[in-house]
Amino acid sequence: MTRPSRAQVAWGVALAVVVALPLLDQALPARAALTERVAPILLFAILGLGLTVVSGFTGLLNLGAAAFMALGAYAFSILTCPIYPFQVGFWPGLVAATVVGAGAGALVGLPAMRLRGDYLAIVTLGLGEIVQDVLKNLDVITKGTQGINPVAAPSFGPLILPAAGRHYLLLALVLAAVWVCVALRRSSIGRAWEAVREDELAARCMGVATARAKLGAFALGAALCGLGGGLYASLSNSSLDPGTYDFGRSVIILSIVIVGGLGSIGGALLGAVIMVGFDTILIDELAKATSGETGSERVWAQPGNWKFLVYGLALVLMMRFRPDGLLPAHAPGAAR
Amino acid sequence: MSLLSVEGVTLRFGGLTAVEAVSFTVEAGSITAVIGPNGAGKTSLFNVVTGLYPPSAGQVRLDGRGLIAQADLASWLRWAVVGVATGLGCTVAVNLPDWWDAAINAFAGREPFPWGEAAAALGARLAPTAWNLVPLIAGFAVGLAGAWQAWQRSRCSSERCFRAGIARTFQNIRLFRGMTCSDNLMIALAGAGRLRGAGPLGALLRTPRFRRVEASARAEAGRLLTLVGLAAVADGAAGSLPYGHQRRLEIARALAGCPRLLLLDEPAAGMNESESAALMQLIRRIRDEGTTVLLIEHDMSVVMGISDRVVVLEYGRKIAEGTPAEVRRDPRVIAAYLGDTPAEPA
Repeated sequence: MTRPSRAQVAWGVALAVVVALPLLDQALPARAALTERVAPILLFAILGLGLTVVSGFTGLLNLGAAAFMALGAYAFSILTCPIYPFQVGFWPGLVAATVVGAGAGALVGLPAMRLRGDYLAIVTLGLGEIVQDVLKNLDVITKGTQGINPVAAPSFGPLILPAAGRHYLLLALVLAAVWVCVALRRSSIGRAWEAVREDELAARCMGVATARAKLGAFALGAALCGLGGGLYASLSNSSLDPGTYDFGRSVIILSIVIVGGLGSIGGALLGAVIMVGFDTILIDELAKATSGETGSERVWAQPGNWKFLVYGLALVLMMRFRPDGLLPAHAPGAAR
Repeated sequence: MSLLSVEGVTLRFGGLTAVEAVSFTVEAGSITAVIGPNGAGKTSLFNVVTGLYPPSAGQVRLDGRGLIAQADLASWLRWAVVGVATGLGCTVAVNLPDWWDAAINAFAGREPFPWGEAAAALGARLAPTAWNLVPLIAGFAVGLAGAWQAWQRSRCSSERCFRAGIARTFQNIRLFRGMTCSDNLMIALAGAGRLRGAGPLGALLRTPRFRRVEASARAEAGRLLTLVGLAAVADGAAGSLPYGHQRRLEIARALAGCPRLLLLDEPAAGMNESESAALMQLIRRIRDEGTTVLLIEHDMSVVMGISDRVVVLEYGRKIAEGTPAEVRRDPRVIAAYLGDTPAEPA
């Protein structure tokens, strides 16, 4: 038995903290709702992992991750909302959200797989806009901007999960997504993805079915985004307005992947903690801390208004000092 | 029968003819060199043989079989399925709001939901009206044409050529730089079907079969790395190897496909004398183990030292072919390399 490396210790400690969060929540009633605040981080970790497969492993720039999230969310909502006759329940709904995501990814991927780099990025960008518009205008089904609600809450059979249960459910799904990424990466499909990223022409000459590999990556990434979307709808008890899944959302998911380290699984998790943690925890806390004293009508005094400035600054600094992300997929110094 | 026959291959890029009506054959178990001045079309010829470019005219046969896929009944069926699926998809997309209204929203709030009535209402909408037929037929046509077009483009593909037994290296090294040396070989082993049975499902569940197939491929990669003298750096990143090692790794990667024909594009470029000598030994050894070799090379000591036959190209045409000794004496070859010398006055 070898001694665990520092990274393994760090991940172990992080996992222990996340597992212990519901207990902490009970111990600190004054600062309750820790798990609720961590939920978006776990959710976006799943979305980040989805994009890691597509953009990180395979090197296909995807600017439309939110579109697959939206499709997952609406599939889940339509299938579980009591206004519609399906009402399949939480778990079948979640499976359907994943399958719809994967199917949409494969469908979009089929004609788009001959495109490289910027062109594929434009196609995915367009997809993001199209999906939003369709959801807005297909109000016979999607109820337009109202969104579909209520939807099924996370549950096991008749048991609706309490806050701690939701937390562990999300954690389990994140761990499952991590396992899928790790296991596939260390197999011939994962190596084929990497080969496509490194040199597509050489990959073809070495017998890699590049179109199939790219399609697989796209479908898996979209499936994880669809799963994330379904969960998001379930936790929000609504499909929410189609505008929720706008370009900004795709960019946040992409930023998670880039800040963490493109192609690095741990990086996607860390990126979610930083990007979403800043958004849902830090900004909130700052707002609470400052709203008492300063005149909150002043624009510059509200921490929320600084959000995008900080994002922008952080990305610029990243590009200057850690262009490969906080946890690079390849050891620094390895020739690229 | 010869292993590879190139029959009247022509490759045009717009108005430029890179390769013009080149024919030659490569016998199994031989080493054949393709030489010629820069820009003579040697690499373009390699690109045709490995399926990167479909030839504008002529064809390439491996063991008498063409490398370009032919359509059969199964491919027609596939295109038809794609066409029908596209047609159905278009019809649903066009009519979805209407159908949804008729079948779902019309009965909203009824407990229990009258599935039978809803299905009947939906069924009534499925009659062959213009709204149903136009997208169905148009979608079918688009899907069929798209599937056919995609097939056309993939008929001649480097994946097929690799699987048929033609592997290559590149003039400017094209390794998967960020991957380990061993993983570089694993790609080619998988491409050649050596990882069959280690699919995604096995990978997710880490089944014993997955581990076994993976381990045996890994061992094969190790054997090939030992053959080219790179066993010590198996887990190092390919891109950080010194240049000469990268060339050898590329050869090992090509060999991982168990090719019947190995194409080497300037394997000795940038090597010093002792490195080229080692390379020549390696190429002979590869030939002795049963792989036929076709190489492009500028280093004449290598060409003359190991080739059984030499093919000479100039401006895309074949100007000479024969044993190294014959080619060396050929006046046209001398002219191509040294320029035309005017006849000595008597």
